[in-house]
Amino acid sequence: MIRKILNLGYQLLEKNKKLKKLKPVLEAVDGFFFGTDKVTTFTPYILDYLDIKRFMATVILALLPSVLASIYFYGIRVILIILVSYIFGGLCEIAFAVIRKKEIEEGFLVTGLIFPLILPPTVPLWVVAVGIVFGVIFGKEVFGGTGRNIFNPALAGRVFITISFPKIMTVDWYQPLVSGWAGFNRFKPDTVTSATPLMLYKSDKILTSFKDLLLGLSPGCIGETFRLGIIIGGIFLVLTRVANWRIPLTYLISVFFLSYFGNLLFPEKFGPPIFQLLTGGLLFGAFFMATDPVTSPFTNSGKLIAGVLLGFLTVIIRTFSGYVEGVMFSILLMNAFTPLIDYLVVERRYKPNNKR
Amino acid sequence: MSILKHYRTFKGGYKFFNFTGQPQDIIIDLGVPKVIFIPLRQGFGVEVKPVVKVGDQVKTGQIIGRDDENVSSPVHSSISGKVKEIVKKNYFGREVTFIVVEGDGKDELEKLPFSEKNWEKLTEEELETKLYLSGVTSLGPSGIPTRYRSSVIGLKEVENLIIHGLGSEPYNICLKTLLKGKNIFYFIEGLKILKKLLPNAKIYLCLNSEEKRIIEEIGKLTSDIQWLEISLLESKYPQGYDEMLIPIVLGKKFPYGYSAANIGIISLNISAVLHVYEAIVDGKPLIDRIITLSGPCFKENPHIKVRIGTPIGEIVKDYLKSEVKVRLIMNSLMRGYELKDYSLPMDRTYTHIIAIPENTERKLFSFLRLGLHSYSYSSCFLTFNKLEKYPDTNIHGEERPCISCGYCEEVCPVRIIPHLLSKIVVKHLVNEKLMHYGIFNCIECNLCSFVCPSKIPITKYIKEGQEKLIIQGCDRSRCILPYFNLKGLEEYQGIK
Repeated sequence: MIRKILNLGYQLLEKNKKLKKLKPVLEAVDGFFFGTDKVTTFTPYILDYLDIKRFMATVILALLPSVLASIYFYGIRVILIILVSYIFGGLCEIAFAVIRKKEIEEGFLVTGLIFPLILPPTVPLWVVAVGIVFGVIFGKEVFGGTGRNIFNPALAGRVFITISFPKIMTVDWYQPLVSGWAGFNRFKPDTVTSATPLMLYKSDKILTSFKDLLLGLSPGCIGETFRLGIIIGGIFLVLTRVANWRIPLTYLISVFFLSYFGNLLFPEKFGPPIFQLLTGGLLFGAFFMATDPVTSPFTNSGKLIAGVLLGFLTVIIRTFSGYVEGVMFSILLMNAFTPLIDYLVVERRYKPNNKR
Repeated sequence: MSILKHYRTFKGGYKFFNFTGQPQDIIIDLGVPKVIFIPLRQGFGVEVKPVVKVGDQVKTGQIIGRDDENVSSPVHSSISGKVKEIVKKNYFGREVTFIVVEGDGKDELEKLPFSEKNWEKLTEEELETKLYLSGVTSLGPSGIPTRYRSSVIGLKEVENLIIHGLGSEPYNICLKTLLKGKNIFYFIEGLKILKKLLPNAKIYLCLNSEEKRIIEEIGKLTSDIQWLEISLLESKYPQGYDEMLIPIVLGKKFPYGYSAANIGIISLNISAVLHVYEAIVDGKPLIDRIITLSGPCFKENPHIKVRIGTPIGEIVKDYLKSEVKVRLIMNSLMRGYELKDYSLPMDRTYTHIIAIPENTERKLFSFLRLGLHSYSYSSCFLTFNKLEKYPDTNIHGEERPCISCGYCEEVCPVRIIPHLLSKIVVKHLVNEKLMHYGIFNCIECNLCSFVCPSKIPITKYIKEGQEKLIIQGCDRSRCILPYFNLKGLEEYQGIK
């Protein structure tokens, strides 16, 4: 049946010249449903079953626990936010594909889902739209599309709206719903609080209990609070080899050690290590955003370096800056340094007269 | 006393899953074909000159082409009959002269000279001559040296001889079948012949560490042989290639882009050693070979014994499944040749004929399926090593830009960064830098193209880059020559 509708679509395109520009859209839908019928023409004659669609679908699968938990905690409105993100981001993507006369690329499926998950639950829908449009256009498309972007598009959008609308983005947070069906049959939570665990610690030195942090019972960004699900999803990603283990591991370890020693030396400034690991967007960032293969270094030693530096930056920003949350900025900063790290590592490895 | 060394391995590489249609443990003799087409360029060396004319009567095993001046080995007629014609034909991209012999059904074997039951009585010169005349010398990728020019180096220059029976390809000849019954004794006898021929060489035998029974048997039989060392290796692709074997077995660096013979190493596979035995002891020249019919598109997957020069169409016709569209691939799924013209004959270098289905079917939600039978480098599919995988020609996805996932770098056996190189080549930024990044180290194992989730033909781009560099006047020998003391260089360049 889908085949018939698609064929009808192709016929329409044949007849109508103005519509012809929309061909990439139809082709993308076609490829999405039916895969490909192309065959190899030169060596190797067999190819791996993994394609980019499956690659991205695996990331989405790993994000599912967070998505479900966020609906549970923050109501059906979360679905609306995700939809807005997908629709507006998708429109941008289609527009660029049509202008460039290229295929639509699947990387967007992940960006469009990660972006809403790192927003505060109180975010107005129009801000979501503005953020994703900015992220897709200025985070990705201006660099030439998937695979060429320097910055993680979701983070670029997030930083843009954080800076543009600081009041909306940092002041109000919902207290997550927990009893009974909670968010599954409510539109949104009623209780508004003004403090996430990190803010509480910064202002009043209050440590939220680890159980609340792990299960997501404390306020925070939509998809960042259910940390147990994030850890499960992250380990799944690492096991399927979609995400490389090097960045999350070194990132978390360096945050742990830096805050451990910081806490020993200046207990009034640095938060204790486990608390640091379990608060804010650290786990989500380490597993889902710092591991983005396009914007992280491709060399193995580069990955280790980036992980350590990320941890360093995160703890520094959290401790000494006005922002309580450092993950977003540190990943974005590290994205900017990625080409440099790669260049240095490659140059060192292939130094002339330094034969392996 | 032979030393059993524990298996060593290399970084990168890929252990293939259990593909459907692995060769079974039977050998079928295909018999004498009516017509044969013998290419005059087979295996290692240059094209030889025909020594027969149209209309000549030839016997089985009679030499019909030889060239003692250049690096080559004689070519034999594999049936007895009359030379029908001598033609030039396109043979896998090369113009090669063919001798066509029409059989008379008598199949009289003309034995090699110096027939002697006990080969140890033969002098070294006689052994060499016999081996050269048998044509066995062209079996290895670098030839077996004799006084006649059958390899780029001389007899005394061989320091190491590597014999490998590794199955690292998706489909492999079954070692068990090859060394069945008395063959294992013949094999060891063959080793002794080679030792006598190459007195200065140390012989290494590399076996697949999973073939426990064969290892035990060979270990027992060779326990009193001092000059033999057995190493057990992992059957990881591309372990069977010289470029991987030599660094692992000998701990030497390989001069990428040259032949192993250039550093005084000869590598042979197990069936070549068996052929050495047959030639010396039975006096039988190289007129047939055991090959496998592998892949899911054959009704059965036997090993078959085929006369050289038999058209491939004739070999496969009784075995090919008719209900599916089939693609025939010679030797290797990873870097073999696609066979389009079934009338082409098989030559000495063939080991496998692989038939896989031409899969143009479009499946609904193919990327969302569980994928019990999908082979993949990643673990994104729910599958197990034991489950059989059906190889097909579909590319399983659309070509997309590189996302730097790093799979190609992880599998690369020579430790270059394939996606970086291919990106540079695609951007037309070809310059000296590529050479520093080791573009000439690429051994074209095609693993990077295989694992790429974006379906980028990385190896093709790397090759393109190499060609562009050479056109720009970049001398590839500059990366190699200063670090090695290579032998027989001029001859080697002549062959290429």
